[in-house]
Amino acid sequence: MSDLILLLLTADMAALLLLGALAAVVPPAAGPVLTAGLGGLGALLCVPLVLPGAAGATLDVSAGPPGLHLHLALGPLPAFFLLLALFSGTAIALFQKAAAPRRDLVRATSLCLAGAILSLLAADGVTLLLGATLVCAMLVRDRQSARARATLLVPLLLLAAVCLLTPTGFPPRFDAIRAAPVGDVPAGAAAALTVAGVSLMLCPRVPGRDWVRQALVAGAVLPVGLYLLIRLVADLSAPAVQTGWGVVLLAAGGWITLRGAWRAASEADITAAVAALVRRQAGLMVIGVGLALTARATDLPQAQSLALEATMLLALGTSLAGTAAVLAVEAMASSTGTVHPARLGGLAQTMPRTAAVLAACLLGVAALPPGVGFAALWLLFQALLAGPRTGGLIDQVPPALAATVIALSAAIATAAAVRLVGVAVLGRPRTPQGAGAREILGIGQIILATMAALSLVAGIIPAVTLRYLADAAVREVSGSTQGVRSDMMMLAASPASPGYAALPVLALLVLATGCAILVVRWLRREAKPAGLWFDGMTPPAGFPFGEPMAQSAGTGFLPSLPALPALPRLRLPPRPRLAAVTPVAALWLLLAAFGALLLILAIMGGGA
Amino acid sequence: MIIVLTLVLQILHAALILAAAPLAAGALDWLEARFAGRAGPPLLLPWASLVRLSRKTPIEREAGSPGLRYAPAAAFGATAAAAAMVPSFTLDMALFPLADILVIVSLLSVARVAEVLAALDAGAALPGLAAQQASAAAVPAEAALVVVVFALALMGGSFNLDLIIEQQAGLPTAAAAWVALAALLALAAADDARRDPPLDQHLTDTGLAIAQFAAWLRRLVWIDLIGALVFPAGLAASAAPLDWALGFAGWAARLVAGILALAGLRALLGSLPARRARELAGAAGLLALVAALLVLTGTRMA
Repeated sequence: MSDLILLLLTADMAALLLLGALAAVVPPAAGPVLTAGLGGLGALLCVPLVLPGAAGATLDVSAGPPGLHLHLALGPLPAFFLLLALFSGTAIALFQKAAAPRRDLVRATSLCLAGAILSLLAADGVTLLLGATLVCAMLVRDRQSARARATLLVPLLLLAAVCLLTPTGFPPRFDAIRAAPVGDVPAGAAAALTVAGVSLMLCPRVPGRDWVRQALVAGAVLPVGLYLLIRLVADLSAPAVQTGWGVVLLAAGGWITLRGAWRAASEADITAAVAALVRRQAGLMVIGVGLALTARATDLPQAQSLALEATMLLALGTSLAGTAAVLAVEAMASSTGTVHPARLGGLAQTMPRTAAVLAACLLGVAALPPGVGFAALWLLFQALLAGPRTGGLIDQVPPALAATVIALSAAIATAAAVRLVGVAVLGRPRTPQGAGAREILGIGQIILATMAALSLVAGIIPAVTLRYLADAAVREVSGSTQGVRSDMMMLAASPASPGYAALPVLALLVLATGCAILVVRWLRREAKPAGLWFDGMTPPAGFPFGEPMAQSAGTGFLPSLPALPALPRLRLPPRPRLAAVTPVAALWLLLAAFGALLLILAIMGGGA
Repeated sequence: MIIVLTLVLQILHAALILAAAPLAAGALDWLEARFAGRAGPPLLLPWASLVRLSRKTPIEREAGSPGLRYAPAAAFGATAAAAAMVPSFTLDMALFPLADILVIVSLLSVARVAEVLAALDAGAALPGLAAQQASAAAVPAEAALVVVVFALALMGGSFNLDLIIEQQAGLPTAAAAWVALAALLALAAADDARRDPPLDQHLTDTGLAIAQFAAWLRRLVWIDLIGALVFPAGLAASAAPLDWALGFAGWAARLVAGILALAGLRALLGSLPARRARELAGAAGLLALVAALLVLTGTRMA
C-alpha cells in the first residue's frame, strides 16, 4: 500500500513538473484546475500515511549520475508535511481560478508543488538538491535583489550539509548517514549550513502584491523548510551536536518571531503585514525544534514530543490560516485597489464573508483561545515546563528567555491582528473604493471558508487533530510515546494534571456571552438612530457622515521603544557589484557548484 | 453526588463574584475618596449606575458591523468566564479541570480585544485613539503576565491554577514567589490605571453598563488571583461546610486587603498616565523573567 502511494506521488510530482514546463501552452482557465487536481490527488494520497500505525516505503529511481541515483522515501513525517503543502497548494490553485487565471502563476504554483514533493520525498542529497532548487527558483523568479539571489544558494547549502553528514566512502544517502553517524565537527558544520539554508528559505522577501508567492510561502515552502530542519538537524545529526544547536535555534527562532510580529504590527501594507505574521509563525516553529533538540540532548522524551507536537500544530495552523489570510487579503486588495489600511475600512459591510474569514484566520495565527495558535502556544509552554532543569544560571537562561520571547511575540501578534481587523475591516469606509468593494466569486469564497473552518476546527479540537495527523510523525522523529495525553476534549501534558480543554472553554465563553446578550435584549428600549461619532448630536453642515479619515490610521498600536544609543557603524570596504548576476547566471553558478561537489565526492570515494 | 456538589459550588462562586464586583468597585472609590480627605460616594453607587444606564434611551448606530453590536457582551462573557475559573472560597468547583492559568489570562486578553475592536468599529477619532493606546499598553502588560504565569507554573509544576495554589501553600519561602508577587502587583496597578480617552467612551446605555461591569469583574479577577496565590487561607478542596465557612472568611479578608492595597496604590501613585503604566508593565516583565530564572535555578530564600 505505502509502496503504491509513493509510486503514485512520484507520478503526481512528474505530472506537476510537466504542467509547469508546458504552462505556456495550456489554456489559462485549465491550468489552475489541473494544478488543483494534481495537488488534491497528492494530498488525498498522503492521508493514509499520516494516520497512526502507517508504514513507510522507499523507491529507487534509476536516474542521475552513476552511483547517485535518486532515492525517495515516504514515512509519516514527510507525509504530514506533504499533506499540508499539497492541500494548501490545491487551495491556492483553485483561488487562481476565482481570480484572474494567468499562465505564469500556474507555472509558479505547479513547479513549487513539484519541488515540495521532491524535497519531502528525498532520501538522498541529490534529490534534495533538485527539489529545493525548484522551490527556491520559484521564490526568486523575476527578482533582482541580493537577498533573492542568496536564496539560490539554499540548495547548495543543504547539499553540502548532507555531504558533511555522510560518512567517508558512502553516497550522500540518508540511510547511510543513519547507519554510520559522523563526528561532532562535521555534524556541527552540517547543522550550521542547514540552519543558514532553512532560515533563508523560511524568511524570503516576497513583493507585497505577489500574492501567489506569499501564499505558497505560507502553505508550501514553510512545511518544506521545517521538514528539512527537523530531518537534517533533529533526525540525522549526531546527538552530541544537538544541545548547542538547540540553543542556536532558540535564538534564531526568537529573532525571527519577534521581528515578524513587530513588522506585522507596524507595516503600512496589509499584505506585507500578513506575510510578517506568517514569518512570526515560522520563528515559533524554529523555537519548537530548538526545544525538541534541547530536550532530546538531556534525554527528556516527553518534553521532546511536546515541542514537536507544538511545532506540528503551528505548521498546520500556518498552512491553513496563514494561507487563507494571504488569500483573503488579496481578495480585499484586488477589490478595493489599495493595500493601505488607512485607505480601507468598512469591509465588514461590503465584503462580510471575506472579512469574517480574515478574522478567523488571524485568530488562528494569533495567540487567542480557541484558535489553533493558542493551542500551539500552550504546548510550547508545556514543553518549556517539562524541559531540563539541570545546570546553573547559564544553562537556564535560554529557556527563560525563550518563554519571554514567546510571550512577547504572542502579545505583539495579537496587537497586529487587532490592527488589521480593526482598521482595515471595521469602522467606516475611508475612500469610495472601500465603500464600493464587492465580494469575490463563489468558488473563492468556498475555498476561503473551508480553510478558515478547518483552522477553527483544529483549534477547537487540537488533541484529536494531533492524534490523527501528527502522532505518527512525532513518533518517527522522537521514537517515544505521545507527549500529549489527549482525549476528545482535553489536551494534557501529564496524567496528573488537567490541561487545555478548548471545546469546554469555548462553551463557557459562549454561555457567558449569551447570558449577557439576553440581558441586553431584555433591557432593550426603543432606540434613537444617530451617528455615534457625534455622540447623538446633530452633525455639522458639510460633514453629514463625519470625517471618515479621522478614524485610526493603523499607527500607534505598539509601545514606543526606549531610545538606545546608536552603535558606531563599521566602514566596510565596498562590495563588488553583483548587479550583472541574473537569476539565469545564478542557476549556472549553482550547476557548476553542484558539479564541483560531485567531483569532490568522487575523489573522496563517493558513489561506491 | 460529588458532581452536583461541585456544580452547586461553582454556581455559588459565580453568584458571589457577580454580586461582589460592583460592591468592590464602590468600596474602592469610597476608600480612595476617604484617603484624599473627601466624604466619598455611596458604596452601592455602581449598582445605581448600572440601573440608571440600563434605563437610558439607546442610540442606534447608523454604521458599524452588526456582529460587533454585542462586543461589550462578548467582553463581559470572556471576563466572566475567566472569573468563574479563579477560585474564591473553595478549590473544589466544577470548572477546576478548565482552570488553566494560561487560559485565564488569555480570556482576559480576549475581553480586551473585543473592547478594542468595538472601539475601532465606532468609526470615530477618539475611540480609535483609545483603542490604539489600549493595544500599545497591552503589549508589555500581557507579555509580562504570561511570563509571570510561566514562573508560577514552574513553581507549581502545572498550569492548573488550583494545583498551583495547593503547591504554593506548601512553599511560602520561595524567593521566586515574592518576585512573582511583586510583578503581579505591578501589573495589577498598571491594569488599574485610568485611560484617557477611555476605551468605552463610544458606548451608551446598556452597552456601557455591561462594559463597566466587565471592568469591575476584571479588577475582581486580579484581586482573587493575587490573593489566592499569596494568601490561600481557607482555600481547600473540601466538601465540609465548616471548611466553606473558613473559605468565605478567607476570601472576604483577601478582598478587603486587595481593595485597601489598590486604594493605597491610587493614593500613593495618583492618576497613573499611560506612559508610566507601560513602564510599570515593562518593569513587571523584567521581574517576571527574574522569577522564572530563580525557579529554574532552584533558588530559595534562606
